[in-house]
Amino acid sequence: MIDFIQNIIDGIALGSAYALLALGFTLIFGVMGRLNIAYGPCIMIGVFAGAGVYSDLTQSIVLIFITTLAGTILASAYVERVSFAAIRADAALASMVSTFAVWMQLEEIVAHLFPARTYAFKDLGHLSLIEVGPFFLRQESLFMLLVTLAVLLGLALLLGRSHFGLELRALTDSRRAAIISGINVRRIIFLTFLLAAVIGGVAGFMIAMSDGQVTPKFGLWTTMKGLVAMVIGGLVSLRGAVLGGMLLGIIEAQAQWYFGASVREILVYAILFVALILLPRGILGGPRTLWRS
Amino acid sequence: MDVYTITVLANIALFSFLAISAWLLLLVGEISFGQQAYFAIGAYTGGVSTAVLQLPFGIALLMAIAAGGLFAGLVAIPAMRLSGLHFSIASLAFAELVRSVLNVFQYQRWVDGYLTGPDGVNGFRDIRWIYDAGIDPGTYFLMILGCLSVVMLGVLIASYGHGMTIVRSVGENRRLAAAQGMNATRVRIITASVAGAIAALGGTLYAHMATYIEPAQFGLMIGVHSLAYGLIGGMGTVFGPLLGVLIDIGALETLRIFSGYRMIVFGGLVVLVLIMRPRGILDEATVAKVQRWLRG
Repeated sequence: MIDFIQNIIDGIALGSAYALLALGFTLIFGVMGRLNIAYGPCIMIGVFAGAGVYSDLTQSIVLIFITTLAGTILASAYVERVSFAAIRADAALASMVSTFAVWMQLEEIVAHLFPARTYAFKDLGHLSLIEVGPFFLRQESLFMLLVTLAVLLGLALLLGRSHFGLELRALTDSRRAAIISGINVRRIIFLTFLLAAVIGGVAGFMIAMSDGQVTPKFGLWTTMKGLVAMVIGGLVSLRGAVLGGMLLGIIEAQAQWYFGASVREILVYAILFVALILLPRGILGGPRTLWRS
Repeated sequence: MDVYTITVLANIALFSFLAISAWLLLLVGEISFGQQAYFAIGAYTGGVSTAVLQLPFGIALLMAIAAGGLFAGLVAIPAMRLSGLHFSIASLAFAELVRSVLNVFQYQRWVDGYLTGPDGVNGFRDIRWIYDAGIDPGTYFLMILGCLSVVMLGVLIASYGHGMTIVRSVGENRRLAAAQGMNATRVRIITASVAGAIAALGGTLYAHMATYIEPAQFGLMIGVHSLAYGLIGGMGTVFGPLLGVLIDIGALETLRIFSGYRMIVFGGLVVLVLIMRPRGILDEATVAKVQRWLRG
């Protein structure tokens, strides 16, 4: 029982990073009705930029963070231009394939600029474990959880209170109505991409810091985790994305503890496949709304 | 021909199986990122048949085709109820599922003093049928080419008969096709099954040429490439996916100016074709024009 609860604690910490990735996917899918498969590889560009700055220029955590964000935003802006803005609005699947093509490009760019494959990333150093009764919590996990909560709070304020948030929600409810109301749809879409890039950059930065290193597998990894969490959450619900991320984290932690890493991998993909067929609208179900207050 | 040329040509032919497989699903209107799963299933089934079970090569081919068709059909029964985005993600999930299962799949036996068979992540060594049977690379390439011709001939014959018209109608508009009395779901499942069988045939031919296979070879990027071949080459004719393979492997991989930048150039090409010619270079309109011109 103690193991089981300990796994849930670890799972929530891991799941908070997944939740952020799923949020990024869901935001883009919400406003566009299209999937950006290259989201993970964009974040990979960011963390590699951060790792490059860390190994050659500076130890400053702030500068590394800013570089990571800048790299992710730059790559995302490129994806938005070639795979979304340039492709007709009704060709959702063409956009998705196009993001895959961009993914190939991003991977090869990383392979050229970072030939050693594995690079050190700034870590938090050796931190002691926090003990509460029989349970342990890594300080990195606590940090991850707190940052995630801060991002969620900021996102809730931005979407719920700002004018941009209002326009974004209007766009997700009905594209046509948004256009008629005079909303500059292209601008909102571009800004949403940047918003998703910022969230992804934060998530990538935390994951890379927690691992202490980055590898070219980072792109595939982040895309798959975010995608699974997003599908569990139901593709269009921000609340669902957060829940899906947490759920995925807990399931992974339990599976890893009781069955080992290879079964964990099998289980994740099996869940994704079965969830798509049995729960195409995700765990929260319901109609298509990004935001319910 | 020297060995290098034969290897490049054989690779083009082997990838064509995968490309045709993904292209068939494009025709019924679905984008699959997961045809490499059936390629892998074919490779493992064929490899186990000849190397472990010591069955004749012909039987191994048939078993691989059957396994690919069976798995693809079983996956399609639930997955074909989904559409668009959901189907694409499901295909991707299934392919990664197959790969992660192969990572732990072990089936090893002692054959002639060798321990052989799939060994999880460590891969599957010594699929030596072509060496044991004394077949040289040139002859084996001709065998691959023969199998590919049979597949393409099958598709071409279907294009002249009713088969391909039904498939294309279902892909164009499922409801309209159903209203015309076609069983859209059955057409989609059968197409998926045939596509799986074609991929599996390519997979088993690949396994016997490579003699060594491992789960990591059947990753997501292979699936995305084979899908992109059909999209670039065009939906109009079965030569479309072939053209895509020729552009990527025939030109980009072998030309030295592109070395190291192949993925960037190819990725850019896909992006451009999707923007400018959404149904590929040899799209339906172009093919129809060529056919009219040929008839005079």
